[in-house]
Amino acid sequence: MGIPVGIDVRDDGVDPAALARAFAHLRWVDATFSPYRADSEVRRLEAGALAPADAHPEVRAVLARCERLRARTRGCFDVRATGALDPSGFVKGWAVEGAAAILAGAGARNLCVHAGGDVRVRGERAPGEPWRVGVQHPTVRDRLAAVLSARDLAVATSGAYERGAHVVDPRTGRPPRGVLSVTVAGPDLGTADAYATAAFAMGLDGPRWTATLGGGYEALTILADGRVLSTRGLAALRAG
Amino acid sequence: MSARTAARRALPVAVAAAAVAALLANVRPRPRPTTPPPPALAAPADTAVVRGVSSRRPRRQGPVRTATGDVAVTPFSYMEVRVTLTGGELTRVETVELSGTGARTQAINARAEPILREEALRAGSADVDVVTGATYTSRSYLQSLQSAIDKARRGG
Repeated sequence: MGIPVGIDVRDDGVDPAALARAFAHLRWVDATFSPYRADSEVRRLEAGALAPADAHPEVRAVLARCERLRARTRGCFDVRATGALDPSGFVKGWAVEGAAAILAGAGARNLCVHAGGDVRVRGERAPGEPWRVGVQHPTVRDRLAAVLSARDLAVATSGAYERGAHVVDPRTGRPPRGVLSVTVAGPDLGTADAYATAAFAMGLDGPRWTATLGGGYEALTILADGRVLSTRGLAALRAG
Repeated sequence: MSARTAARRALPVAVAAAAVAALLANVRPRPRPTTPPPPALAAPADTAVVRGVSSRRPRRQGPVRTATGDVAVTPFSYMEVRVTLTGGELTRVETVELSGTGARTQAINARAEPILREEALRAGSADVDVVTGATYTSRSYLQSLQSAIDKARRGG
């Protein structure tokens, strides 16, 4: 995927092999799901060279989850939004969530895993100090639009300044207008990733939809006119 | 928090992580005093908003009386109806929507559509551990990052 990855574990005594397993998991996800790799299962499914019944169980589970998310997001998260099968809008976050789970399974309690702007934190950055997650300013380099403070949180952002594949509104087939970025925070990073993608795809209809997410998911939307709209629960996540 | 601080707290695992964090340092803002958060939206004063008026000329002269009906609850507001009678004849009807931050209105808003908080976009900087943003890719970045991870694993 060509996405920079960071893993930051702040516990003593965690087996270093767990770090290697976490990176190996991310490489496996890339090899299996990347629509940019001709030999990935996703590409082979799309080409008809792999029957769905023969796909890896995790691939089938991810695609089933993506179908449920398509329904939940009024079709605005859609693995076929651009025509070809591309579950990246969920898989990015799901992969990082899996890496964090591997580290937690090895006993890590205080960790931060991030890839391509998706973030998963658990525990604290230092005793008594929650992790601090900055929300990238969409137009001013190296500046922040907001800071979130949390001990157990997944955060994903979808935006107009993405390079690579562009998000399109499946209802129009074109990029959405009026919104620079949507950040979704909540308990699961794959879901947050899909919600952020969907909300951004909805353009100016997105903020109102994000207010209905439930399940502990909150959102912050930065509009092209310089306004920031956030769901009511997001205020509790803002750093003081 | 610097990579060095992270390395102080944990041992071999953080060596690889510190190498990763150091390489990613250039995408994190330099620590600066935290900018104050934007002020909370000021609560609007209690206001009554007249929604509709319809009136007609009285057919005869007579005493003018006005009256306000009981408050009616709609899904999104409280509404009152004020009428004016001239000589006993209905000559003016106003519907008045009550809004504001009184206890009654807060109860209504809780049932109404979800509310979004609005503020202006600010460009601040602060001590953060990680930044969330839209995906960015960089093949050369990843290659050097991967080689650093591999080196750290071999050496750590």
